[in-house]
Amino acid sequence: MIIANPTYIPPYYQTMTTAPPPVGGTTPSGSMTAGGTTNTIADTLGGILGGIGGFLGSTGGQQALGTGAGALLAQQAYQRLGDVGERARREASQIARQGLEQTEFKPFTVTTATGGMMGVGPEGGTTMTVSPEEAALQQQLLSGAGQFYGQAQQPMDAREQAVFERMRAAMRPEEERQRLALEERLAAQGRLGTSSAAYGGATPEMLAMATAQEEARNRAMLTAMQQAQAEQAQQAQLGGQFLSAGYVPQAQLTAAVQPAMTTAQLAQRGQLTGAGMFGEAEMSGIEALLSSGIGQANLMGQIGTGLLQQALQPTYVSGAGGGTTGGTGGGSGGGVLGTGKSMSEFLDDVIGLDPSGGGLFRLLPF
Amino acid sequence: MAQQLQSINLVAPAFKGVNTEDSPLAQDPSFAEIADNAVIDKRGRIAARKGHTVVTTTKTVLGTDSLRAIKEFKDDAGNTKIFSVGNNKIISGTTTLVDETPGSYTITADNWKLVDFNDKIYFFQRGYEPLVYDNAGGSVVKLSTVSGAAGVASAMYGNEVLAAYGRLWTADFSSDKSTIYWSDLLIGHDWSGGTSGSIDISKVWPDGYDEIVALAAHNGLLIIFGKHSIVVYSGAEAPATMALSDTVAGVGCVDRDTVQHTGTDVLFLSHTGLKSFSRTTQQKSMPISSLSGNITKDIIAALQNEDEFFRSVYSPEEGFYLLTFTGQDVTYCFDVRGTLENGAYRVTRWPSTKFTAYTRLDDGTLYIGTTNGISTYTGYSDNGEGYRFKYYSPSLTFGDSSRIKILKKLKPTLVGANNATVFMKWAYDFDTTYATTEFTVGTQITGYYGESEYTTVEFTGGQLTNQRSLNTTGYGTSVQVGLESEIDGSPLSLQEINVMALIGKLL
Repeated sequence: MIIANPTYIPPYYQTMTTAPPPVGGTTPSGSMTAGGTTNTIADTLGGILGGIGGFLGSTGGQQALGTGAGALLAQQAYQRLGDVGERARREASQIARQGLEQTEFKPFTVTTATGGMMGVGPEGGTTMTVSPEEAALQQQLLSGAGQFYGQAQQPMDAREQAVFERMRAAMRPEEERQRLALEERLAAQGRLGTSSAAYGGATPEMLAMATAQEEARNRAMLTAMQQAQAEQAQQAQLGGQFLSAGYVPQAQLTAAVQPAMTTAQLAQRGQLTGAGMFGEAEMSGIEALLSSGIGQANLMGQIGTGLLQQALQPTYVSGAGGGTTGGTGGGSGGGVLGTGKSMSEFLDDVIGLDPSGGGLFRLLPF
Repeated sequence: MAQQLQSINLVAPAFKGVNTEDSPLAQDPSFAEIADNAVIDKRGRIAARKGHTVVTTTKTVLGTDSLRAIKEFKDDAGNTKIFSVGNNKIISGTTTLVDETPGSYTITADNWKLVDFNDKIYFFQRGYEPLVYDNAGGSVVKLSTVSGAAGVASAMYGNEVLAAYGRLWTADFSSDKSTIYWSDLLIGHDWSGGTSGSIDISKVWPDGYDEIVALAAHNGLLIIFGKHSIVVYSGAEAPATMALSDTVAGVGCVDRDTVQHTGTDVLFLSHTGLKSFSRTTQQKSMPISSLSGNITKDIIAALQNEDEFFRSVYSPEEGFYLLTFTGQDVTYCFDVRGTLENGAYRVTRWPSTKFTAYTRLDDGTLYIGTTNGISTYTGYSDNGEGYRFKYYSPSLTFGDSSRIKILKKLKPTLVGANNATVFMKWAYDFDTTYATTEFTVGTQITGYYGESEYTTVEFTGGQLTNQRSLNTTGYGTSVQVGLESEIDGSPLSLQEINVMALIGKLL
């Protein structure tokens, strides 16, 4: 079956106009802006350094401050590392969901030039529908196949008898002519009524003719058997041919779907590639974010560690100034390191432990 | 002035036998108007036939009935036995008749035909199971009881049977008049195996329909006689392939027992007289000659009046073919030694013989069946009783039927007739009242030299002749003369009759 000019219906993916969703629900921020604070880093650093200077200027204060800040920073670093892991899992799950959506199978339908259709459902189920003409032809062929198979399954003897009778019908006129000729010959010889036991109750000529006719009849019988067998095989063969031909519309429909399937596979491959790339890009951002978070935590930890080490070492402070922990650092102004902030505020706002705030080491929330 | 006597010499009167077909006035004087109990002897003279001598001494089984058929059984070992039928019995023997009828076999008719075939004798009659006898068995038995018998069924209980070409052939059945059955080769009791067979000639009859009456075999031919047609098949030695050779329409056979083989011919009685097939090698057809052309009307009349059956026999020794109408007790004797100008046999008539059966033995003996049993055709008396020999000439006109003839003398010359009384008769103008004069022949016993000379008989030189001169009376334009004599022990031949007459005025 030839299907002319099949109309190719582009698959869904060809008609997709929707751009891939933006990677990630969040925009990874690689920049470390100190949002939420009005102080500049230089000011902050100046203040901190000034505070540190002041604080360091006092021995007790310096030790207490170093110990507390170091411990707090270490605790915050630990906490940050845990938050980094949690955020990585959450972001990965989000990417996975988006990957599932992006790689989800898109139903499509193929319509051939002869009107046949094949639809692939969302669940992968396939529905094939041939055109009415093809359906009629298919019905005719399958019905014919059934008939041929039915005929092939018919008992042989009936067909043999039918073939034999047809052969005999063809032979009878000549046999009748021969019989009449013999009858005339025997009548002319006055032997029409001759019956001899030695010749089966007839004349030698009649026996010879009867023998010849019997032989012909036997040959006809054998030929009829062979013919019936050949016809049976032919019926079976025809049944097979009809059966095969009956599935041609379907096969052609299936064949027509093959290019579309290739195209779908290409689209699917692009879809999968895009999804992969999306996932990889997202994961790269997350990894970068995680790396920066880890770095920040590590830095915070190192600072805390440094502070602790410094606080726990004996110090030699000369001059006045300085105070105890929480004393007046610096000399000018109150609070930690002269920033006018308590230790907690200092860590949150100046060091940046509060994610919503600013500070020198403000960490991005996860 | 006295007129001179005119002599008309009837030399060998009735030399040509009886002729009742031609006008008496125009007939050759060599014919006879009547020739009863006469034959044409070896010298061409009319003579008294032989009588019969009864052989049978004990005929209890026959009772008062007569024998209807006689046949001699012979086999290769030389065994012989005479069979006859009569009184609804199968009979054997000649001097003492013995009932040979098989037990529990009822016979109500004696129209049997007996044939010898392959060391057996077979008995066939329509409607009866055939019987068979052979020397080994020693008794007549039903055919179906013979070991190996096959196909013996009522359909083949034929009235006609023929032994020819190594087979038995039978035909003329109760309900089938057109089929012939033949037995297996040399096996007369096998009618369904081997090469046995049959042929239905109902489509072969030349005039559409006929009924088989008799069969005959001749020169490789199977001759099938219908009532009014004849069908001839050639190649009957192989019946399955025998083919129609000739057909004759309008001539058939009256009865199977009229068919006789003469060696070169087959004689049979048709509705128009005695016929024969003359063998021809040049012609493919078989001409039929009329052998009873001189008595055709008599034969036809006898046929029409016959209410019993026919019997016939051919005797080459006697040179005749006898045909007996038993119901009318008349036998026609056809001399088969030659035919006349018209192709007919010379024929004489034997009335009141009571002969009812014949058979000829191989030694030439002719057996005759009568109420007395079996007789032989010999002697010159019918079992001691005389019979009347008659000769009557046709009406004689002496060449001029317009003048009156006045018989003066009759001078018969007789041969034999020892001590017989001879009656000379004459009549004029077709009158059936004859004038008669008689004389007695003297002793005619032959006397041989040295034996009976001068003692009991006169010395003679052989067969004695006797010539008499008898005065006659009356006159007429035509004259018929006759001679009668009672034959009782001695032969009689009529050598000549010399008629002395005066030729008178014209009428």
